[in-house]
Amino acid sequence: MTNRDMAAKIAGGWSDAEAVPRFHNQIEVTCGNPDTIAGMLHYIQSLGFEHMSNLTCVDWLEENRFDVTYNLWSYKYKIQATVKAGIDRGEPKIPTVMDVWPQAQAYEQEIHEMFGVDFIGNPDLSSLFLHNWKDIPPLRKDFDTEAYSKEAYGAQRNKEV
Amino acid sequence: MEPVFYELTKLAQNDQYTTYEMFFGPNHPGMHGNFGYVVEAVGATVVKVRVNAGLLHRGFEKLMETKGWFQNLSLIPRICVVDPDPNEVAYCMAAERLCGMEIPEKAKYLRSLTLEMSRLTSLLMGMGALGAMMGLYSSMYRMMTDRDYVLDLFEWLTGARIYHIYNVPGGVRRDIPDGFLAKLTEVLDTLEYNLKEWDNLVFENPVVHKRLTGIGYITAEEAVHYGLVGPNLRATGFLADVRKDDPYAAYPYLDFETPVTHGGDALARAVQVRKEYEMSIKLVRQIIKKMPKSKEIRLKAGNTLKFVVPPGDTYARVESSKGEYGYYVVSDGGLKPYRVSVRGPSLPAGLTLCHKHLPGMDISDVAIWMASYAVCPPDIDR
Repeated sequence: MTNRDMAAKIAGGWSDAEAVPRFHNQIEVTCGNPDTIAGMLHYIQSLGFEHMSNLTCVDWLEENRFDVTYNLWSYKYKIQATVKAGIDRGEPKIPTVMDVWPQAQAYEQEIHEMFGVDFIGNPDLSSLFLHNWKDIPPLRKDFDTEAYSKEAYGAQRNKEV
Repeated sequence: MEPVFYELTKLAQNDQYTTYEMFFGPNHPGMHGNFGYVVEAVGATVVKVRVNAGLLHRGFEKLMETKGWFQNLSLIPRICVVDPDPNEVAYCMAAERLCGMEIPEKAKYLRSLTLEMSRLTSLLMGMGALGAMMGLYSSMYRMMTDRDYVLDLFEWLTGARIYHIYNVPGGVRRDIPDGFLAKLTEVLDTLEYNLKEWDNLVFENPVVHKRLTGIGYITAEEAVHYGLVGPNLRATGFLADVRKDDPYAAYPYLDFETPVTHGGDALARAVQVRKEYEMSIKLVRQIIKKMPKSKEIRLKAGNTLKFVVPPGDTYARVESSKGEYGYYVVSDGGLKPYRVSVRGPSLPAGLTLCHKHLPGMDISDVAIWMASYAVCPPDIDR
């Protein structure tokens, strides 16, 4: 099965999904309704995408949107799928997918810490890497690293020689 | 900020025993990296485990958003010290795919060469560490000697022993020096000769067999479900290899069969790593034989500080010594990447599978469990 056929199959089987083939073996899937992401990924998994490679988030500051991104791989058809779910940046909430892939729990914990996205249904969203973090989540685009290091550690830029 | 102090916490006590919370790492002989588990144990049996990560977090993903496409190359190999080249290649592949570049044939071979040499160094360290976890320190020190022969060749080829910064978007940085391939063949002969020694010391050692059998057993279905990759997955009998499934660099031109092992426990994983090591030596020999004679190793990228990548996003995967290393790269068309997300191959084992496997295990087996799954802290803390 080529990525073109697979894209048509995904878009045909799930009404909220929009799938476009790209490069030689990749598909880009956009989820129209983020509340149904777990069901949609379960459907995509049943089509042959058994492996979740990566779960990440992209902060589109100007468009006021977070893209929660799932990178999947099909061992059977050798196709890579990138599933994107755009959520409101002001109130970032999305259901967990840890029932579909158990390792998503750890990825979601990290994304919660780094972007402040709330994964509904994930039992453990405690901090994983940062201890006693009090600022805004650090991987957001509006987090100012220089101001933070000045405030927290009294750091100064080196004088230019 | 107030500092955080940890002390040995008493969790429960009765007339027979006391339950404590114990720190397994970061300062522990069985822990290779700045990472740790906090285990609750009754006697010597683990009952619960908590992950203590963040001691190695260097904020690479944030740093990469503040530097140019080419400047990031000096950061990327530092993500994984043991196996740096898959990082470089995955990042370059993502940038090239977005630019629509096709690198010269010789550059593809040189990429495969560095990837396989890097795999050799990493597997030697992994096999040695597994031996060390069982108290077989002689295997570790002697494998480090072999590893150093390969690192010397890396220094000759790239100018650096550990952080090579050799692969750049558009190709590789240097051509092969005169006499390099002959010397490499010599080193490969040494490595192959020493394999017998490793068999006697580790892989055919009855004590090792007894110690490893049954630790961390997993079935193929479960391994796929949990996102295990590379040798861990192939040790369950499931054949999946990025080099075959999603070919990159010179792998489409090479002739190889990826081995699998049936078993799914620590012994099967050790045997699988040994098979992959042997296969890697053969692959390097094949690359030497098929190396093109041309001098073209790099496309012209113009002023590297003004290098831009068209807007878009892609996920590039490379088979590292521990399995699929992936870079999800987003570009907005600017001088810097908009977002880079790194997929470390051992994150699912280190953060999720530990909650399933470690409870019920002896504390003395935890280090072997970690070494057999090749849990590498830099994959978790980027």
